[in-house]
Amino acid sequence: MTDPNAPRFFRLRCIFIEQGRLAMLSHLEVAHTLERTVRRAKLPFAVSQGFSPHMKIAFGAALPVGVGSTCEIFDLQLTEYVAPDKALAALRAASVPDLMVQECRYIEGKAPAASVAFPTSTYEVVFEAPISVAGIKVPETVTVVRKRKEKTLVVADYLVQPFAAVEGSPERVTFSLEAKPTGSLRPDVLLEHCTLPARTISITRIAQR
Amino acid sequence: MRYRSIWSEVAPLVAKAERPSRYINHEWGSVLTPEADFRFCMVYPDTYELGQANQALRILVNAVNARPGMSAERGFLPAADMCDALRQAGLPAFSIEGCAPLNSFDAVGITLPHELAATNVLEILDLSGIPVRAADRAEDDPIVVGGGPCAYNPEPYALFFDAINIGEGEESLPEGLEVIRSLRAQGASRRDIWRALAKLDGWYVPQLYGWRSADEAQAAGSWIEPVEPGLPITVRKQIYRGFAQSSGWEPCVVPFAEAVHDRLNVEILRGCARGCRFCQAGMMYRPVRERSADNVVSSVVEGLAQTGYDEVSLTSLSTTDHSQIRRILTRLNSAYEGSGVRISIPSQRLDSFGIDMAGLVAGQKKGGLTFAPEAGTQRLRDVINKNVTEDDLFGAIDAAFEAGWRRCKLYFMIGLPTETDDDVKGIARLVQQAYEHARAVVPKDQRGSIQIGASVALFVPKAQTPFQWDGQIPPEEALRRVNLLRHSVKYRAISINWHDPKTSFVEAVMSRGGREASYLVEEAWRRGARFDAWSEHFNEQAWRDAADSLGMDVAAIAQASYPTDYIMPWEHISCGASRRWLVRERALAEQERTTPDCTFEHCSGCGVCMDLGVDNELADERVLGSAGSADAAGKLGTVAGAATEEGANAVAGDCAVAAAAGADSAAVANAAAAGPIGGDAR
Repeated sequence: MTDPNAPRFFRLRCIFIEQGRLAMLSHLEVAHTLERTVRRAKLPFAVSQGFSPHMKIAFGAALPVGVGSTCEIFDLQLTEYVAPDKALAALRAASVPDLMVQECRYIEGKAPAASVAFPTSTYEVVFEAPISVAGIKVPETVTVVRKRKEKTLVVADYLVQPFAAVEGSPERVTFSLEAKPTGSLRPDVLLEHCTLPARTISITRIAQR
Repeated sequence: MRYRSIWSEVAPLVAKAERPSRYINHEWGSVLTPEADFRFCMVYPDTYELGQANQALRILVNAVNARPGMSAERGFLPAADMCDALRQAGLPAFSIEGCAPLNSFDAVGITLPHELAATNVLEILDLSGIPVRAADRAEDDPIVVGGGPCAYNPEPYALFFDAINIGEGEESLPEGLEVIRSLRAQGASRRDIWRALAKLDGWYVPQLYGWRSADEAQAAGSWIEPVEPGLPITVRKQIYRGFAQSSGWEPCVVPFAEAVHDRLNVEILRGCARGCRFCQAGMMYRPVRERSADNVVSSVVEGLAQTGYDEVSLTSLSTTDHSQIRRILTRLNSAYEGSGVRISIPSQRLDSFGIDMAGLVAGQKKGGLTFAPEAGTQRLRDVINKNVTEDDLFGAIDAAFEAGWRRCKLYFMIGLPTETDDDVKGIARLVQQAYEHARAVVPKDQRGSIQIGASVALFVPKAQTPFQWDGQIPPEEALRRVNLLRHSVKYRAISINWHDPKTSFVEAVMSRGGREASYLVEEAWRRGARFDAWSEHFNEQAWRDAADSLGMDVAAIAQASYPTDYIMPWEHISCGASRRWLVRERALAEQERTTPDCTFEHCSGCGVCMDLGVDNELADERVLGSAGSADAAGKLGTVAGAATEEGANAVAGDCAVAAAAGADSAAVANAAAAGPIGGDAR
């Protein structure tokens, strides 16, 4: 550490689920809600210094509106050590059921930020009826509009694990997308561009790595 | 209709809506009582993000939920995209907690927060499948009750409500609902319920009263005529007598969506007795009742802990008038230092004490300050009873710019009774002098950063005020006066803001109209008017065409002035201040004589305390020029919207600022004091 007098914080990584109706929250709404959850949990969070002090909290890669998750991440800097199980209990008591913290553990101060550490996400899609993976037709490219500019994405660049059946659940499939420094392909957008054999019920991020 | 959740049907629409979080419920603090024998939905007639912070909504939902066997839920008008999507899908408007159609409730309450929400009332009733006219409702349709600031002139809403609750609803609303519940349980007819409510204090049932012609009304001394014997001819406002002793904290919902005023709101006092003659809030929330410093501080501590908010606003019509304000702010400051919690005061006195208090909570972050001198000359300030002198203003400016503020906004009204061109030019003069004061105290190298803005709003005459008899100036004349003001300003650092008041004729008609205005509202809505407070949605043509088709001269309703012996269309509603006092105040205005604030000086005889059997309740003595005010002579001035941050100051209770908010949808949203159904103290 370059400055021996710099304050040392304890970096707590928290994994939470986002499900049901709350999958419709925007990234910003989730962020606000989690900050308030931390305050309600009375954890000894660190506050930034300066003109406009705010909680030292960082969030993982944004989840598209409408997509649920079992593995979202936020990192919180604490000024004092709190046993992870105690922190977890406090957070859970302050959370709404569909945005519930599942796991807390301390990570290295220098570990990469959650927003960049896990570029690959695996999603699970639930269809209205049992389907066969062969029935899903994936386009070669997807054209999206970003900041009023059209951008054509080559699906193969992002789709690192193609659609795969889930054993024992014929109405479910999984696939993985990798975020690139230049951009990413949203799972819901990809599905909109695919020819699907049945209507989708839900999309859930089930792993980040 | 059976009460049930229609979530599975609306979910696909919500997923595609502009902001799904408006409709999804499940927020922290949201409560649903699964079993109840009486269901009530309290509706804010605009979108979730504008209504969620409304204190009255929170207070009343809590008050009704506290009654055994009763359940209260929130309702909001879906945003325009969702209204259309629901109609197209044949689905009704629904409550938040239970996602149940509004027409499946026993009663629906709609707050009337400001004059531009009327067509939204019809929009949500119609979207819910409830006939918009009370007279057309079937026996099993919900009883639709109204309330809030605009209920003090209920006539423009008369067709649409079964009953209207006048005054503070903490106790009065649940009482009315109990009557509805017990009568419904006995199988009583809608008309029987109307009769029973009409006999209850504070409830006005417009369908039980005929409407007289102007001549008949003047001869009879009242515009309303009971359709049957035994009905009261005056409806008196109700007040919540336990306010001062009740806790400033009560459970609230913490929204996901970014709502306006999205912070903890603790109402520290209710009422303002300064007696500005244009201000409706000042008349209708009397008497003044303060919660004690101990109550306020523990409410803030509890509220922040329970909600997780990082900001608290100490709301009221005149927060720095609280007799213990210094103690409150000092204690909160030491409790939250270094925690990132911000404390804001939405209104403060226009003097150095006000700045002192603003400085206590501003910390490092000094955004802009807002003051409301309201008028440019002492003469006109005396007319409107804005007891603020130039010295007060300059003292405040000196103190603020010395303390480090660099931006300041001043609110004025144009078109006030007796205003002359000299008064208009006086605004320019005052603002320029304020700028010179700021320059004098700011170090030379920082003078470039000084910004002084003047915001000018058109005076809207309000019911139940001494200026209720005065007409609004015509739009062309307003424009001429604004241009006169613009041309009178010489410094480039001064900006004059003027919102083209396209909506002001609607506000004036809704503020001063009689029952005929409710036909106008209905016709305007039928022609497509809704979301009138949103500049992007305001449909002026619909209103103009509606007036033409009904043969109504809306300009005359807005602009006509009357002698004070003229009976106005709301005189069957009493806010406690006597007609005699209002007349006297209007006469004093003409004589340019001021009336003191009874919480600092002697009683001015408004009649509220006598009439309602109450009294001002102060936590401590209020002393003129107290607590470090430089001005021992003690000419104090409240400020409507002074806060330490722009945006956070969207207004406590001053009509001027409320009027200035005009068509700005965010600012119209919500004011401070709650109380009656609806809490927008405008």
